[in-house]
Amino acid sequence: MRLYAPAPTEHAVEQLLSDPAFRAAVVADRLVPARQAALAPFPAWLDPRLVAGLRAQGIEALYSHQAEAMEALRAGLDVTVVTATASGKSLCYDLPVLQDVAQDPAVRALYIFPTKALSQDQAAGLHELARAAGIDLAAAVYDGDTPAPVRSSIRAAGQVVLTNPDMLHAAILPHHTKWFQLFEQLRYIVIDEAHTYRGVFGSHVANVIRRLLRLCAHYGSAPRIVTCSATIGRPDALVERLTGRPSRVIERDGSPAGPRRILVIDPPLLDERLGLRRGTFGFVEQAALTFMRAGRQTLVFGRSRTSVELLLSRLREALREGHGPSERIRGYRGGYLPTERRAIEAGLRDGSLLGVVSTNALELGVDIGRLDAAVLAGYPGSIAATWQQFGRAGRRGEASVAILVATGGAVDRFVARHPDYLFSASPEEARLDPDNLHVLLAHLRAATFELPFAPGERFGDQPADELLAFLAEEGHVRQAGDGRWYWASENFPASEIPLRTSATENVVIIDQGPLGRGARPAVIGEVDLFSAPTLVHQGAIYLHEARQYHVERLDWEERKAYVRPVDVDHFTQAEAAITLKPLETFATAPGPGGERAHGEVMVSSLATIYKKLRLETLENLGWGRIHLPEIESHTTAYWLAVDPAAVAGWRRDALDAALVGAGRAMRTVACVLLMSDPRDLGLVSQVRSPHFERPVIYLYDGVPGGVGLSNRLFARHAELVAGARALVDDCPCSGGCPACIGPRVEAGGEAKAGTGRLLALFAAGS
Amino acid sequence: MTTELARPSPTLGPMEPTAASTLAARLTRLRALDTRLRPASELPRPAARAPAGPLVAAARRTRLAEALGGKLLDTPAGSIVVVERDVPLPFDPLPLRALPFPIDADRPLIMLDTETTGLGSGAGTLAFLVGLASWSGDRLHVRQLWLADQPEEPALLDALAASLPPDGWLVTYNGRAFDWPLLITRYRLQRRSPPPLAGHLDLLPVARQLWRHRLPDARLASVEAGVAGVRRGTDLPGALVPERFLRFLRDGDPRPLVPVGEHNRQDVISLGLLLVVLAEVLARPEGRSRAAAGDLVGLGRAFERAGQAAEALACHEAALERAAPLDRRDGRAVARPGGRLPTLDPALERARLLRRMGRRSEALEAWRAIAAEGGRRAIGAWIAVAKELEHGAHDPAAALEAVRQAEQLLARRRALGLFFREAERDLPYRRARLLRRLASAPASAPPAAPASASVASG
Repeated sequence: MRLYAPAPTEHAVEQLLSDPAFRAAVVADRLVPARQAALAPFPAWLDPRLVAGLRAQGIEALYSHQAEAMEALRAGLDVTVVTATASGKSLCYDLPVLQDVAQDPAVRALYIFPTKALSQDQAAGLHELARAAGIDLAAAVYDGDTPAPVRSSIRAAGQVVLTNPDMLHAAILPHHTKWFQLFEQLRYIVIDEAHTYRGVFGSHVANVIRRLLRLCAHYGSAPRIVTCSATIGRPDALVERLTGRPSRVIERDGSPAGPRRILVIDPPLLDERLGLRRGTFGFVEQAALTFMRAGRQTLVFGRSRTSVELLLSRLREALREGHGPSERIRGYRGGYLPTERRAIEAGLRDGSLLGVVSTNALELGVDIGRLDAAVLAGYPGSIAATWQQFGRAGRRGEASVAILVATGGAVDRFVARHPDYLFSASPEEARLDPDNLHVLLAHLRAATFELPFAPGERFGDQPADELLAFLAEEGHVRQAGDGRWYWASENFPASEIPLRTSATENVVIIDQGPLGRGARPAVIGEVDLFSAPTLVHQGAIYLHEARQYHVERLDWEERKAYVRPVDVDHFTQAEAAITLKPLETFATAPGPGGERAHGEVMVSSLATIYKKLRLETLENLGWGRIHLPEIESHTTAYWLAVDPAAVAGWRRDALDAALVGAGRAMRTVACVLLMSDPRDLGLVSQVRSPHFERPVIYLYDGVPGGVGLSNRLFARHAELVAGARALVDDCPCSGGCPACIGPRVEAGGEAKAGTGRLLALFAAGS
Repeated sequence: MTTELARPSPTLGPMEPTAASTLAARLTRLRALDTRLRPASELPRPAARAPAGPLVAAARRTRLAEALGGKLLDTPAGSIVVVERDVPLPFDPLPLRALPFPIDADRPLIMLDTETTGLGSGAGTLAFLVGLASWSGDRLHVRQLWLADQPEEPALLDALAASLPPDGWLVTYNGRAFDWPLLITRYRLQRRSPPPLAGHLDLLPVARQLWRHRLPDARLASVEAGVAGVRRGTDLPGALVPERFLRFLRDGDPRPLVPVGEHNRQDVISLGLLLVVLAEVLARPEGRSRAAAGDLVGLGRAFERAGQAAEALACHEAALERAAPLDRRDGRAVARPGGRLPTLDPALERARLLRRMGRRSEALEAWRAIAAEGGRRAIGAWIAVAKELEHGAHDPAAALEAVRQAEQLLARRRALGLFFREAERDLPYRRARLLRRLASAPASAPPAAPASASVASG
């Protein structure tokens, strides 16, 4: 049998499934049927030059969603386009913008992309279309890489300005007077890849957009907003939170797609008690090699930079052994040079590359066309991201295949055991909370700097006066005799707000170099203030870029951790005593087994001890105390107060274990439901809450102030409990494992059963 | 314990149940939390009471006017405080025409300097004081426009626009990068067009070219002291200005602003004085005899950059006459205390300029003259002579002689432990090439390796 024989994708899949070991690990095998193109003629009002330009690019008609978007925009509506990867979303906004610019060169548009690379891509596509249509267009990327001499001409004459939220926030809005030509004539705001604006980042971006719209109103423009997003649940809600305005949602995808086969692989359990299973990478490799040997273009998604590099070297090695095309496979991730990335994208488009191993950098709308196969090494963290990555496989009219290989993590285990979540459940919502008090106040400062506030003026849904009065106490803002609120400070507030992290205070990590070498100290990273006591306490082993550092000293007052590189066989794990106190209840609702609520809480965390654990075996090598002050933070939480009568007669330790187990299972499911990282969601359970005098499980938002997560858990309580129950009941383990109720739950084998009984109480009747 | 849902279905946001009272409660808790987390130095200031109503605003203006010795100017857009002073300063602007700087001496010249609430250029930085100065006969008339409160800014912008004639020529210090763009921002913020101007001379780059070499830095205070002999008494450091005005906004006490006004007035007067120095000393040949040699070299360079080679040459020659013999011997400039820049060497400048003007024989003579004086710069001069003789006069024998002169000087310096790297590298190649030329017919061989050059050395 020839190792390298071109074969259709379907054959390669069958060959893969002919291996019994592979076949046995398949937990889901679905076929997404082919989708026919739904076409619409070019609108009669479309500028003939654009029609000619599109024809020159081989486009004879629009997809239905493109036509729908254009008509809605023409009718003056905001539009949200939610269609598959590579379905021609850019045309939905490029065409209306070019149409308007062709008729009136004074028209301006602002495109916002989450990354610099995407701005570059989109600028290239827009220029190509304008050239094909013979329309003069001044479109330019304005980001940190834009040379100073070019900047002033973009400000004055750029008809389409492509930028990112960070640049908008720190460079454009505070200097809006230099952009008055843009703001006065702004007709379109395009927010692409909107699903990436979630959590803290999304909450910041929503406030940046508030500031943007406020300035547009000042300059007398009323732009339409076009938002594009990958498939997510409640796109209308996301866009309304993000822009503060209703938007016409267009979800019917008019682009054609060939049939796509989707496999979910659950690596089999090797040791039930320890939860050890066959490696994820083995399956990923096997699948990717089969496709590449058949000459099918394959994209492999890793979850981290390290796993990308590891998979890449293993795949190359395997191909080299068989004298295969090991040079036709490349890596792709952040940290590669832009030119390198452009070359890889081009290689995928023209077929010279056979495979690429990538982080989620390729999940966003980078133009690489569509490929034959996508292999995901691990659940990417959300259903939306999963479908984005699946969506990279799927050529027009040809069959394709997408494979998800689960890892041993709790969320992966949940998805592997309940693949229906991927296929039938509506994709998660992207949650963000523009009214997070910390975020809101920070942007209100920036907004006052940009333009004074009139009394009663709204910022978001409500008048800003009360918040401005609070800022006035700091002295940066003052109310003058005319009642308006003015910026009255030397500070430049935008520079104090980083959009991509929550805490404004960080502890910087300073590498002093190897002992006795006299190396110059260098900052290698930072951690937020709330994580610092458990990550960089004195004596901790801190991991950075796969290197170990020993923390010699943590200067708490100066917010500096001094570390040195070491090479040791262990790592450290710190424990913190977390106490949680409800401050205010926003809403409560009764239910079976107890009542649920959400509200504001104060979380105090006191780092207590750390353990030294051997890398391979997790054997405990010793421990030490941590002496650091307690940290308090206000955030929002969702909680479940158990009806004492329902658990009357339970042994205290059994109840404790059941509360912990149920909390962990609920947290796992919450991460799936709300597209969040388990680290963003804190868990506290109390057998007898001092506040409620009954057993309580709290799930709290890890971000100070919260990003709206507790509120959503409150609303989706039934799904949360049902999911947690299914997770525990369907887990094949006997007494509880890391995949269901988490590690080390005491109370022997009863913990899992107790957890099941407790969850059943909450689910009763629903 | 069980309560009703605050709102029927909280589908969209946690702010929904957060009614106004709840927000107040959250702010109160945030306040308490912040106090615990922050060091005492960052504690919130006591709540600044907003002055209520127009009466208080009027009182604030009146107090400011009294403290500054100014008067109120009421406009439809609001009221500002105007402070006016005259100083005697005779000035004939016409000689400025001769200078290579962007200024039209036939137009009204307006000196301008702003005081602001910060150094940033964003929309939140306010110009609360605009100082203007213009000539009226032999007197310089200083007019300062003061803002007593933020809402009155439109009145200040009105008054400024009225004070800037459309054919006026602005004179500032760093105004191209700072003051004028900031004022444009203020007009744009009010959605107005900035007042038109005929032109704008920023004296900062001029001062860098002409005077920086003999001053510790290029700040206006240093330049006015070194060039126009201005002695400020107790001048307010510029860095303290924003805080003084911000404090006035909060407490209404105008007294700390008095030094700010004096500082600003001196700034615009100094701009006038610098124009006087330019016109009387540097613009006219008879004035140049009073100028420092380095200033004239800087002016020569400015002329050269403006394409006025003959004027440039005249400056360098005037500088040469003015240069002290001590200065002339050592081409490395006279390092003066205070970390000043090296003075440009007029003789070298002149020789280079002559070469650039194509006056090769004069350039050769100039280089010879420099070489004849000896010293470190003689080595470079002999090399320049060698180049000129080799490529200009096509006299390799004479060029080789010049190379030998340079080598002797170099050897003497080396013996003293002094090195001149460029020359050490250059000379062996040059000598080898010249020897080849002399040995063969006019050669076109590439330069030989240094090893082969040693054959002929001695």
